[in-house]
Amino acid sequence: MDYLIFSFSLMLVYIGLAQLLHIQFGMAGIPNFGVVGFWGLGLYGTGVLYLTYDVPLFIAIAMASLLSAAAGYVLALLVLQRSGQAVLAATLALSAIIATLIVSEKDITGGVQGLGTIKFPFGDMDGRNIVFMVFILIVVIALVWLSAKLRDSRMGRQLVAIRDNEELAASLGKNTASTKRWVFAVTCGMMGVLGGMSAPLHQFLVPYQLAPSLTFAVWIALVLGGKGHNLGATVGVFVTFGLFDILIETYAPVPAEQAILLPNFKLFCYGLVLIMIIMFRPRGMLGEDKPRVRARPAQAQGVPRET
Amino acid sequence: MRLEAQNLTKAYHAHEVVNIKNVTFGSGGLEGLIGPNGAGKSTLMGLLTRRIAPTSGDIQLDVGNGVHKLNPLKSHEVARIGLIKTNQRIQGFDSLTIKDSLRLAATPPKDEGFASLFAKERDSDEIEAKVAQLVEAFPFTDRNGYAMSGGEKKLVDILRCLIAEPKLFLMDEPTAGLPDDITRMVMDMVRQKVANGEMRVVVVEHDLPMIWEYCDYVHFLSEGSILFDGTPEEVKSNRVVAEKYMGV
Ligand SMILES: Nc1ncnc2c1ncn2[C@@H]1O[C@H](COP(=O)(O)OP(=O)(O)OP(=O)(O)O)[C@@H](O)[C@H]1O
Ligand SMILES: [Mg+2]
Repeated sequence: MDYLIFSFSLMLVYIGLAQLLHIQFGMAGIPNFGVVGFWGLGLYGTGVLYLTYDVPLFIAIAMASLLSAAAGYVLALLVLQRSGQAVLAATLALSAIIATLIVSEKDITGGVQGLGTIKFPFGDMDGRNIVFMVFILIVVIALVWLSAKLRDSRMGRQLVAIRDNEELAASLGKNTASTKRWVFAVTCGMMGVLGGMSAPLHQFLVPYQLAPSLTFAVWIALVLGGKGHNLGATVGVFVTFGLFDILIETYAPVPAEQAILLPNFKLFCYGLVLIMIIMFRPRGMLGEDKPRVRARPAQAQGVPRET
Repeated sequence: MRLEAQNLTKAYHAHEVVNIKNVTFGSGGLEGLIGPNGAGKSTLMGLLTRRIAPTSGDIQLDVGNGVHKLNPLKSHEVARIGLIKTNQRIQGFDSLTIKDSLRLAATPPKDEGFASLFAKERDSDEIEAKVAQLVEAFPFTDRNGYAMSGGEKKLVDILRCLIAEPKLFLMDEPTAGLPDDITRMVMDMVRQKVANGEMRVVVVEHDLPMIWEYCDYVHFLSEGSILFDGTPEEVKSNRVVAEKYMGV
């Protein structure tokens, strides 16, 4: 039972990350391949603040996510106005640097031996892991709701314009560099929040958790579900993580000898489905959704011609 | 209104495509910029709006609130001062409908921050009215949908700039890709705005009858340099222009 709650909580974190990637990549066109890095700064930042400096958990999460946001802001200053490939390489490199630093700075992070134990908040209450899962659920629902608000807003429209043709948007007076930088920093900060909330889930932090496989899992889920759809992240994570990591690994009656093959089989399936999606449904399972804006009656009649 | 460039040059590798001692735009109402293919007209407009970095030279713009030096500015800052240009080659936002594209251009950037997530209405009645008025003035296939043909995209490009209310408006070949009647509608609208004192205009064109009809003043650019300026009558009867351009 505890394991299932852990898996569900983790799945919610994945949905949150994919949702943020939907904003970064789906809306603004920023290919962030360093998701695990921003998440990891939140994770380890929270862990260090909580364990070494006795900062209360929620304050530690807030502080650590500011660190993620700052890292996102600085990286954006350095590379966001360069090509997509440069952004891709730089974000991937940043996450590798963060993972390496966490191994090497063992005085702070515990190195390969790890860092623990981070307890759930709410003291000795029974079922605090369930309460915490509900808390993550609320945060993730808020993220999905906010990104729908973004899609329907003037800012979202500007992001889409920047993604489609940044030079043209700039020529109309839009400060595209600044808009992208702030959106990137804020969403990276929120990835940090999700990282901080993952700290009590994992309880014990080890550098292995910062492997790039998390980034790829989130990307695969988003591309599968539909990078341009507000619910693409949710659907994508359900059919990848939900289906394989929870349903099959927990419930499928696989004999022990074959069980060790499951992770490989999972990767094989991910790859196969991804290829099919890219070939037959490049916009993902859900496709794209459009801003929902209240229809207004056409007002041209009766409006005096501008003079 | 005065847009001025001194000693403006642009070279690609060793090949100099613009080399202008001095040129001033914006003192006439509707000005033309003509010249043979490859003369450097589009490059000049890109330089003036800071979309292309010059090799050397200074650009200043005065829209009535002091002189702005454009050299240190980015293209969006130039646009905010009021210098906006249309594109010779079709440009657009593929995911935005015609109206959304216009609403985007009509929205001041300060209204597009994070706070806009929680705005009650996405666009003000004022912007909706402006957009509806522009879109309904032209025969789009689907007024509530996307620009279908190249011509519609070109028209949206022009309307997008107009709705942003430039003070000095640069048009790079508005007739290319547009049907004649639409071109006339656009140019009549532009001429009306100029007459109302809303803006000044520079139009690059190969369609000379249109230039003679609409322009008050014409600049002739050839091989990167301004060779002659004058009224349409003066330019028409100029020997250099005739030789270099009109093939006489
Ligand atoms: N990015 C570039 N790299 C190299 N050469 C360029 C570049 N852009 C323009 N040129 C060259 O600069 C010269 C001027 O080009 P430009 O587009 O400004 O001419 P134009 O007067 O607008 O011509 P047209 O009437 O055909 O539009 C041409 O010889 C062109 O080949
Ligand atoms: Mg040209």
